[in-house]
Formats: sequence, C-alpha cells, structure tokens
Amino acid sequence: MRDVIVRGLEQAYDNSVHMIAEFLPRFVVMLIIVLIGLVVAFLFEYLLRAILHLTRLDRLSEEAGATRVLKKAALPSVSELLSRSLFWLTWLGFILVGISVLQIGSLQEQISHLFQLLPQILVAILILFVGLLAANFFSRAVLLATVNAGYKSPQVWSGATRFVIWILAISMALEQIGLARQTVIAAFSIVFGALMLALAIAFGLGGREIARETLERHLGETKKDREEEPSPL
Amino acid sequence: MAEDTFLDDDFLRQLMSVGEVDLLVGIPSHNNATTVAATVDAIEECFRQNFYRDRVVIVNVDGGSKDGTPEAVLNAAVSQHENGRGLTSLRTEHCVGMRYAQPVSTGQLYRTLLAAADLLRAKACAVISPASSNVAPAWIEKLLKPVYREKFDFVAPLYGRHKFDGLLGRNLLYPMARAVFGWRVRELHPSDFAFSGGFGSYCVNQDVWHEEAIGASAETWMAITGTRPDFRICQAFLGQKMHAATTSGSDIVSAVRDAVGAFFWCMESQQEIWTARTGSEAVPTNGPDHELTIQAVRINRKRIFELFRTGASELETILKSVLSPETHAEIQRIAALDERKFRLGGELWARILFEFAASYHRAVINRDHLIQALVPLYRGRIYSFLLDHQESSPQEIEDDTEALCLELERQKPYLLERWNQKG
Repeated sequence: MRDVIVRGLEQAYDNSVHMIAEFLPRFVVMLIIVLIGLVVAFLFEYLLRAILHLTRLDRLSEEAGATRVLKKAALPSVSELLSRSLFWLTWLGFILVGISVLQIGSLQEQISHLFQLLPQILVAILILFVGLLAANFFSRAVLLATVNAGYKSPQVWSGATRFVIWILAISMALEQIGLARQTVIAAFSIVFGALMLALAIAFGLGGREIARETLERHLGETKKDREEEPSPL
Repeated sequence: MAEDTFLDDDFLRQLMSVGEVDLLVGIPSHNNATTVAATVDAIEECFRQNFYRDRVVIVNVDGGSKDGTPEAVLNAAVSQHENGRGLTSLRTEHCVGMRYAQPVSTGQLYRTLLAAADLLRAKACAVISPASSNVAPAWIEKLLKPVYREKFDFVAPLYGRHKFDGLLGRNLLYPMARAVFGWRVRELHPSDFAFSGGFGSYCVNQDVWHEEAIGASAETWMAITGTRPDFRICQAFLGQKMHAATTSGSDIVSAVRDAVGAFFWCMESQQEIWTARTGSEAVPTNGPDHELTIQAVRINRKRIFELFRTGASELETILKSVLSPETHAEIQRIAALDERKFRLGGELWARILFEFAASYHRAVINRDHLIQALVPLYRGRIYSFLLDHQESSPQEIEDDTEALCLELERQKPYLLERWNQKG
C-alpha cells in the first residue's frame, strides 16, 4: 500500500518535472517573442509617427474637423492615434505568436481565428476613420451652404448628412469584419430607407414653401431674388 | 513655354497668322451673346479713333458658351470691317478666338489670354468684360494709353456706381488691400483692366495657375501682383458701371468665395512683401477716384439681418474656432440686439477680417469653409452700412470708407500678431 502511494507520488512528480521541463523553455521563448514584439512595436510606432508628421496628416484632419471630434472624445491627435494603434496591433500580433508557441490546443484555434481577422479589423478601423473625416467635412459644408442660402433648420440638414455618412461607414466597417453580415445589411437598408422616406414626407408635407422656393431657384431666378441684396462687386 | 501645353493647334495657327502686335484686347466670355457684339464694336471704334497706326488684335477666349457667343464676336468683327465708315485703321485689325468645349474657370480664360499676348509679343493688353452693357471706346483708350504711352504695368479701373453697389469692395477688399499691401487700389476684383506685355509674361510664367483661388479670381491676383515693387500700377476712371445694383443671395456667396478666397491666398503667398509694409500710398489716378449716384434701389434689409443673425447662431462652433473669444463674444452680443439698434462698427469689423485672415493662414478649418463662414458676418456689416447710410450723401459715404481704411491700417500690428501666432 505504502509502495503504491510512493510510486504514484513519484510518477506525479516525474510528470510535473517533465511538464515543467517541456513548458519552461516554451514559456521563455514566448517571453522573448513578447519582448522582441515590444521593441518592434515601439520602432513601428516611432516610424509611423515620423512619416505622418511629414505628411501633415494632423493639419488635414484639423481642416476636416476630425481633430475637434477626437478632442471632444478625449482622444489624442490622428497621427498619435494611428501610431498608438499600430503599436498595440503589432505587439498584440507578437503576443499571439508567443502564446501559440505554448502549444495549448484550444488556444491555438482561437489565435488563428484572431490572426485571420486582424487585417480586416485594420481595414474596418480605416473605414471608420475616413467615415469620420467625410462626415465632418460634408456636414459642415451642408451647414454653411444652408445657412448662407437662408434655408430653415440648417442643423437638421447638417446632422442628417453626418448621420447618413456615419451609418454608411459603420455598415461598411461591420461588413468588412463579417460581423452579422445579413443583419447589418438589413439594418442599414431599413435605417437609410426610413430616413429617405421621412425626409420625403417632411419635405412634401411640411416644406411646401421650401419646395417651391427650391424649384424656383433651380428653374430660374425670380425677380424677388434679384432684389434681395446689394451687388457686392 | 507654358502656353504650349494648353493652347490648341487651331488657336496657335490663328495667332501665327496674326504675327507680332502692339496692342491686344482680350474678351473672356461665357454666354454673353447679347452684349458681346457691342463690346467688339466699342473696341474696334477705339482702335480706329486712337490707335490707327498700331498693330492690333482682338482675342476672344470663350469658356463653353451655349448661346453662340464666339460666332457673335466674329460676326461683329466682320460687319465692322464691311460697314466701316469715316476713320479707318491703317493696319489690318485682327480678330481671333479660342473656344473651350466645356465651361472652364475664369482663371483659365485669363491664362489663355495672357499666353496669347505673350506669343504675339503685345506691348499693351486690355481685358474687357462683355458682361457690361455700356462699354465705350473711351474705356479701352483710358485703359491702354497709360500702359502703351506712359509705361505703367497695370491699370486698374474705377467706376461710377450706385452708393450701395460694390459693397464687398468698399467694406472689405479695398480697406483690407490698403492696410495689408499698402496701396490705395479701389477695384481689386476688376472686370476691365490693362497690363503691359512684360507684366503679362511675368504672370503667365508663374506657377500659380493650378491654384483654386487663381482659377476663381485670377484678376484679383493680377491686381495685387501689380502692386509689387517691380511693377508700376495706376487707376483710370472709366465711367458708370451698368449692371444690376441688387443681386441674389447665391451671387453674394460666390462673390465672397472667389474674391476673398483669392485675396487671402495672395496674403499667404506674398507675405514676405506685405508684412514689412506700414501705412498706405496713393497710386496715380486718371480722373476722379470715386463717383457715387444715389437713386433709390429696393433692398430687403430685414432678410440681410436675419441671415446674419442665423449665421451667428448656427455657425457658432465654426466661428469659435476661427475668432478670438472676445471677438466672438462681441458678435454674439450684437446679434442679440434689436435690428434698429444693431451696429457692426469699423473696429469690430477690422478685428473680424484680420482674425479670419490669420485663421486662413493657419488653416484652422478647410479654407473654403472658412471663407463661407465669413459670409453671414459680411451681411451683418452690410446691414450696418445700409442703416448708417440710408440718407447719406456720397461724401459722407466716402468719409466713412476712409475712416474704415484708417481703422484697418491702425490695427495692422494686431493682424501681424495673429498671423505670426503659433498653433
């Protein structure tokens, strides 16, 4: 009885030592990979920041109004955001490679899934960023045009423009990472269709005067229009 | 040469058949069939009366007219030759043209005219807008003679106007140009002007023609370039400018975008010249430097004020990013005033203009958006001007303009401070 217990304990001890002997080098390799990843990620971040500084992306983003939106959300500048994103993505990639070295079966499958998704996530982030810039630029253009033309509710027109571009960008980003593809397409169609219908009804029922003015403006300047303001030049 | 790339073969053949000329008059046109024949008549009449010994050419550059403007130019030129009575020119009067199939920017039309003048080695050139319905032979003479006989490089026009006509020039372009560039040139967005062959060659060879601001208002850039130390500029009083004294809101927006956009662009591109200048100098002027008429015109003042007030509230976030907190607060304060008590005075207006110019320089938002954001404030200034001068005499209006100009000159150090500010 005593011998059996001792043998069992010896076997368990041998197994543990064997496991640790097998696991420890892999763990050390993982740590080395993670550390190398940290250095590479820092390097990439530094390089991207320098390149973006040269391309004056921050100035472009400021002109398009994206910087203001980022500031409101307590986020750093565009070049800083992109540089930091690259840092984290690179390091995450190295961490995943490191974890895969541990050869834990169930983890490996998940990691390979994540790796397949990485480029798509990157593209989706890029789509969202471009969407943010476009939404700000076009909503401001609409706001200025409607204010200067004397249209009613310029903020509504501007907000609607921003909303439509945002919906489009979010749908495209979700479509890119393949998340609930059917649901996203259906949701987008419903939201966009409803918005257009609402605008059409609002314009038809509530904005008969505006509709008349718009048509007049497009079909020819009225006498009233010409007599509005002193000639500037 | 730069012109090799954009002048078409047919136009080049026409220019080669003309040879060298002494004088060139250009007509940039777009759907001006109703008035262009009278313009051609006036030019030919001027040639016969004043320049009958000189080699002359009329060049029409048409920006995709659909109403037969180029044909009207040629027909007018042919009928003049056939029906010419009395004085005749001792030389052949040429009339050539280039026609763009699609509408092009006014900058492209001017560039084509400049390239043609450069190729023909014209000594003096005038540009006459066919949009004016009352171009007289004397106009062309008054523009060409200072260049041809007195060796000026640029002749800016002066017109007789209604007291409420040309308010963008009176309230913005003229005072700004005077304070910034230091020259008292009244018409900085001229539709009729003249320049020397050397000045034309200089302009056509500048690498600016791809710029949006130049495409929209090359004439403003040319007028400002005429004030550079290497050129001699003067003004010539032409007479009454016949065009509608009132216009629609959309015209105001496009006029501000074109003229102010080009002006701010010139500030940006010529800062090494103007930042060192102080005060302002008068330029030689033939004739009176202003003439105002005061017949009644119908203006919708209430709408102008409403557009200002809406702009001041709806564009609050944009204005905050462009203006200093004090200036923005002052605008919000006056926007809340009763429309009869409202005033946008010279001191505030000068600060607004300088802060917009500095924000344009720093590109705090898209530059075209920035200029559009100025439109409601311009309307506020115009409303204030209309209130002040409902009953004013021409002299009182002139005194007020002079006071505004002096205020902008006084505040130029503030412009420089904002301009050089970082961040």
